[in-house]
Amino acid sequence: MTTAILFIIAAVPCLYWTQGLETRPAVEAAGIKRLCAPAEQADGWRKAGLTVTTIGESEFGAREALSAPGVSPRPGVASPTRAPWIVASGWRFMRAPTTKYSYSAPAGKAALAAAEAFAYDADAIIKVDPADLPSVGAMMAFFDTLPTEDLPPVADFGVVDDGSAITGEVLNLLARRNLLFHVEKGPSAHYRLNIVIGSAAYPQADAADPSTFAQKVRAQLTDEQRSLRLYGSEVVIARLTSDGKRARVHLINYGGRDIEGLRVRVRGGYSSGDGYVAGTGKVALQDQVVADGAIEFSLPKIGTYAVVDLK
Amino acid sequence: MHRRAFVRLLTAGAWVKAAGLDLLARGKPADPIGAGLQIRSDLPALKIVSRYSPAAVPGMPGPYPGRVIKVKSDKCVDTATNTANDPVVREMMAQGMRALTGAASTEDAWRRFFTPADVVGIKVNCGGYPNCISAYEIVGETVRQLTTVGVPVSQVYVYERFQNQMDECNYSAHLPQGVQSVAAERANRNTDNSGYDPETYLEANLFGEEDTRSSMMRLVSKRLTKIINIPNMKDHGATGATGCLKNIAYGSFSNVARTHQRGKSHTYSVVGTLASIEPVRSRTVLQIMDGIRGVWHGGPFARTTKYVFYPKQILFGTDPVAIDRLLLDIIDNERKAHGAISIWDRNPASLKIDDGRARDADPNVNIIIREPGHVEYAASLGLGVYDLAKIKLQELTV
Repeated sequence: MTTAILFIIAAVPCLYWTQGLETRPAVEAAGIKRLCAPAEQADGWRKAGLTVTTIGESEFGAREALSAPGVSPRPGVASPTRAPWIVASGWRFMRAPTTKYSYSAPAGKAALAAAEAFAYDADAIIKVDPADLPSVGAMMAFFDTLPTEDLPPVADFGVVDDGSAITGEVLNLLARRNLLFHVEKGPSAHYRLNIVIGSAAYPQADAADPSTFAQKVRAQLTDEQRSLRLYGSEVVIARLTSDGKRARVHLINYGGRDIEGLRVRVRGGYSSGDGYVAGTGKVALQDQVVADGAIEFSLPKIGTYAVVDLK
Repeated sequence: MHRRAFVRLLTAGAWVKAAGLDLLARGKPADPIGAGLQIRSDLPALKIVSRYSPAAVPGMPGPYPGRVIKVKSDKCVDTATNTANDPVVREMMAQGMRALTGAASTEDAWRRFFTPADVVGIKVNCGGYPNCISAYEIVGETVRQLTTVGVPVSQVYVYERFQNQMDECNYSAHLPQGVQSVAAERANRNTDNSGYDPETYLEANLFGEEDTRSSMMRLVSKRLTKIINIPNMKDHGATGATGCLKNIAYGSFSNVARTHQRGKSHTYSVVGTLASIEPVRSRTVLQIMDGIRGVWHGGPFARTTKYVFYPKQILFGTDPVAIDRLLLDIIDNERKAHGAISIWDRNPASLKIDDGRARDADPNVNIIIREPGHVEYAASLGLGVYDLAKIKLQELTV
């Protein structure tokens, strides 16, 4: 396990709201206190007491657009016994952490988009469907309740990014399988494993099947040596940050259904922790076991997003 | 967790892990009753984690290894209406239990297994609803006999993994008030893990899945002291047949559908290995195989009567391997009678991967290469007797 040297302070995504003050009751009812709004609306919202960042439509459009997060059924391919296809952007945030991003979230997706962006400290603006105001407002309020942390991300290996699409898809599949990597410009001495696509060890031809490629990397790491494992779901993606003494686990549930008893294993010398579940608040970790150089625990129930702080 | 308890957990867990790994690595019988078995070597690594120690005489194979009582009755079911005959079933149960134990009375036969202090789970099978599930008459008579020996109804649990299946079958309507009906998950959606014990599990990476654990139901590990297993006589697309071993194993652990997909089944070694994990192995003390009805193709489901048949029998024993060994022939013979390919067929030409519709339409279609050898593998783990020559079958007729 190696902690990456670079990290940024947690950023809270901004909600892009183009509607006027006539929607103030709904915005206030959702508990939203900060907005991104076009210039013609910004002053009105400021006078209404909100913190507003002026964002024009062109500026929103100039940001790198992200797909709405979630799971995507693949008729004729997926089946109930297989892991569904997850649409997630964590790998993009890791690949380009300083890029400015935007989501145009359809109804039902804004809270998940906010959680995803928050978990990865991404500079993201989310265009919100009005139906999502309550859920995304609750998610933003949840972010405010979390203890402040500025821990660096944990990675088990490095991936040298050549900027190609094929490497991007590999990063996508690695992230989706909760294989913790850090994007590097060249092989790093921090890691016992460095993935250089196009090298003899990792030829381009192998990377053409990114799912199999991710399995190859997983086998090289071995599950026992992975800093983080999840059990009880195939639709949760985790991000782990740590300074070696404390750790934060972000758990993003892309499946759209509550998950009960999600099991988490984190390697390291942690002996206790607290859980924070969006929609619930602070929860005790269940069935906690510390053994074999790792801590394991379960969360009673998570919806879209949860955070666990370990010490 | 208290420090001392934690240390004990580590010790026990390490021992069980080591024992499981060693056994599987060597691929050798754990018990002399498994001698002479032919076990494949191309098997995935399976790691058992459990802090439970085996009983002095584990329930499987229990006190009667290799012994099977078959009670037949032409009157046990009206095949025109698919209705079981309750009095006949009761008599079959009574004769079967007395013959198995050698007890003079039915009550004494049940007392060989249960005391009033026991908390008893009845593992039913709801997968074949509506045409072939653990018969209400057998489950009902089982509960009646448990109460006769003094087990309070509040200490009797009828269980399955999925609540939606239990709701369909609705055993409660057929049982005395107070019998508990328990499921671990609302439905087969892989979102409810709270009903499972995260410290008692099988770990295996079979197809590259991320969730590599199958955990035992908390009810089984934390609450029950004894289990009665009531499977059906059914064909199964991944295992060849589903009987005692499959019902108790895949019906007591989470995340098991992952073992068979894309035409390949790891059920060969996983079924028996799950059944061997403590405490399920020690606590499963009685096998009552419901053969009033059966399914010869398309199993484990029976949404239509197309592949339902009527063996008109109940098998009794403590040895799940011996009963399942007989079941393999029962299912295969029924398939042969209908001109269908054998459950042992491994011909790629019969395989239409994941094409459930083709399988349902044509009994000569497999969607996965079946693994009826899972029964022999279970014998290699010491769960019972596989060799037909060593199985002592006693047949009775009501």
